[in-house]
Amino acid sequence: MFKSILSKVRRFAGISTIAASLVAAAPAMAQDKDSIVFGGSIPLSGVFAFAGVHIHAGLTDYTSWINSEGGINGHPVKYVMEDTGYEVDRSVAAFKKITGSNTVPVYYGDSTGFMKTIASELNSRGTTLMSGASFATALTDNEQYPYQFVPGPNYSQMFGIILEYIATQGKDGEKPTVAFVYSDTEFGKDPIENGKAKAAEMGIEVVEEIVTKPGSVDVSAEILKLRRVRPDFVVFHGYVLSPINEFMVQMRQMGLDTQFMGTFWSSDKLIINKMGADADGYMGVMPYNYYDSAEGGPMLDALRATAEKSDPDAGYRPTGYMQGWFNAMVWTEVIKRTMDAGKELTAENMAESLASIKDWDTGGIIGIPVTVQDMSFPVGRIWRVNAKEARYEPVSDWIHLD
Amino acid sequence: MDWLFFGEISLAGLAMGGLYALIGLGFVIIYKATRVINFAIGEIMMFAAYLFLAFAGGMEMSPWVALPLAVLGGSVLGGVIEKVMIRPMLGESSISVVMVTIGIASILVGVVEMIWGADPQLLPGFLPRKPVFIGEMYLAPKIAYGFLIGAAMLIVYLLYFRFSRGGVALRATASDQAAAYSMGINVRRVFNLAWVFGSLAASLAGVLVAATGGLSPQFGAIGLSVLVVVIVGGLDSIVGALIAGVFIGWLETVAGAYLGGEYRMPATFAVLAVILVFRPYGLFGTHEIERV
Repeated sequence: MFKSILSKVRRFAGISTIAASLVAAAPAMAQDKDSIVFGGSIPLSGVFAFAGVHIHAGLTDYTSWINSEGGINGHPVKYVMEDTGYEVDRSVAAFKKITGSNTVPVYYGDSTGFMKTIASELNSRGTTLMSGASFATALTDNEQYPYQFVPGPNYSQMFGIILEYIATQGKDGEKPTVAFVYSDTEFGKDPIENGKAKAAEMGIEVVEEIVTKPGSVDVSAEILKLRRVRPDFVVFHGYVLSPINEFMVQMRQMGLDTQFMGTFWSSDKLIINKMGADADGYMGVMPYNYYDSAEGGPMLDALRATAEKSDPDAGYRPTGYMQGWFNAMVWTEVIKRTMDAGKELTAENMAESLASIKDWDTGGIIGIPVTVQDMSFPVGRIWRVNAKEARYEPVSDWIHLD
Repeated sequence: MDWLFFGEISLAGLAMGGLYALIGLGFVIIYKATRVINFAIGEIMMFAAYLFLAFAGGMEMSPWVALPLAVLGGSVLGGVIEKVMIRPMLGESSISVVMVTIGIASILVGVVEMIWGADPQLLPGFLPRKPVFIGEMYLAPKIAYGFLIGAAMLIVYLLYFRFSRGGVALRATASDQAAAYSMGINVRRVFNLAWVFGSLAASLAGVLVAATGGLSPQFGAIGLSVLVVVIVGGLDSIVGALIAGVFIGWLETVAGAYLGGEYRMPATFAVLAVILVFRPYGLFGTHEIERV
């Protein structure tokens, strides 16, 4: 236990050193050109802290890397953040504080709730483009949220990718059946209606819908319902770990041969680390290559090298890290495109630059060139857990939705 | 009506209710003896579950050694909290004491995040995995064995309160502190004992619940949801906590199965509202009448 505390203190010291060096490095580079600020409301504590610390590490390391590459068109980058505890009011306060003392062209929002709350202010200011932890379908509505985007497919698109995969798994010309299991939260309910519509369109029968109370202790009654309909696939959404493990273990104990799938936040290595052999065969949709995948590419290699350099003891970097890094990559691309076009860094100009991204090579972070559609990157791949190797392995090609 | 399905979900609900009863017992023992509503009970459960994780996971002890150690650790924590933070509050308003317990809850969450981090966790498996069938009815093994362990603990508690000196002192203090004091009972020690025993019940429930539903620093919220159980049963009634725990567990599960998961909480809160209207002191709570 003391070893673990010591390692955490060391890690924290490591992060502090990086932060200090960034602050120190920025003024030296800024002698030539002004800094570009990446702002962020980051959940380093609270219910989302398990991902927040890795998102923070991803953003920090990307900033370090881009500065080592000369910044954005010669402008050094400064990453300014506040811990929010994953509370909307604290995220709003952090946004006001950071944007009040800096010019912030791009900003990381820690939740759908915050991003929706701040939308009207973001729209009236017209200075900042925002993305963040959320893949909410609503945020890809250009009318209501013109200055926000999601750094991958939105949750409905993730369901679309999952259903595309499921449709290929039928036997004897019959489509498999599917059940949706989701948490009784805004996050959990997000893709369900669109998912049902997409399934109907593809001829896939949704045989059951299970809603679970957040923090449910026991889900055996819900599992008994699934036993009656015996779905070929169960798709989870709105969870990180529990109760996915209970559904999988109990349904297998009942002798069902159902296959289990999940969306972005339920497809990290945490599932393998905590469930061990029980995780074998679980599948997730992921828009990025996993840190420990066999894939490569110049940007993915740079990410791995920077991560290794910033914290050699950290080992595997979770999907939150990849997501933080990719967010900052998109910001950089958008700022660069806007500057290269000789335009000011306004939200409108940057949103236009974002919309212009077509067949963009992400250097291996995403395995195929990507095109922005409606403020999202509708691409992903299905990965399956190989528990013996303790990793996810791809079982589909990259799927880019039209 | 599919009676087999109804039987299966009823069985699951009753078994889960047994664990609610155990947590409710933790609330009631402390309230009955000391008149303190312990809002940190969920966090004490959480702390004990993390201790189990450390012993059985980190130190790779046998789960059957780790379980009593974790439960003991949780009960010692309860005793320390009483001695260091609650006892100095004697004589202060009940709101102040409640605020202290809320503060303790926040501190425990912070300590857990500092030591074990914020990642969700699963406890090392220690309950048999073979499905349990009662007749044709399936019962999840974790729930079935968790219920059996919890029920054994409840029986031990009931026997202790009925026959032991400590139990009698606890009951005497609960019914009249001044009289108990005048009869030579060390009331301060009884207060401490109540926290130790209350925390012990909660700690065992914490490990059993975490073994089923997983563990995270937010796990303590379960303690608050069990507040419904003790209000329905009566804050100062052990029998009330047991009956209400089992009933609420059953109701929640049946509502979830037939109406959908989003109706679990509304169903239990509807019962709470009805009880509060007709019996504000709970089904089995003491009806106190103040005469002017």
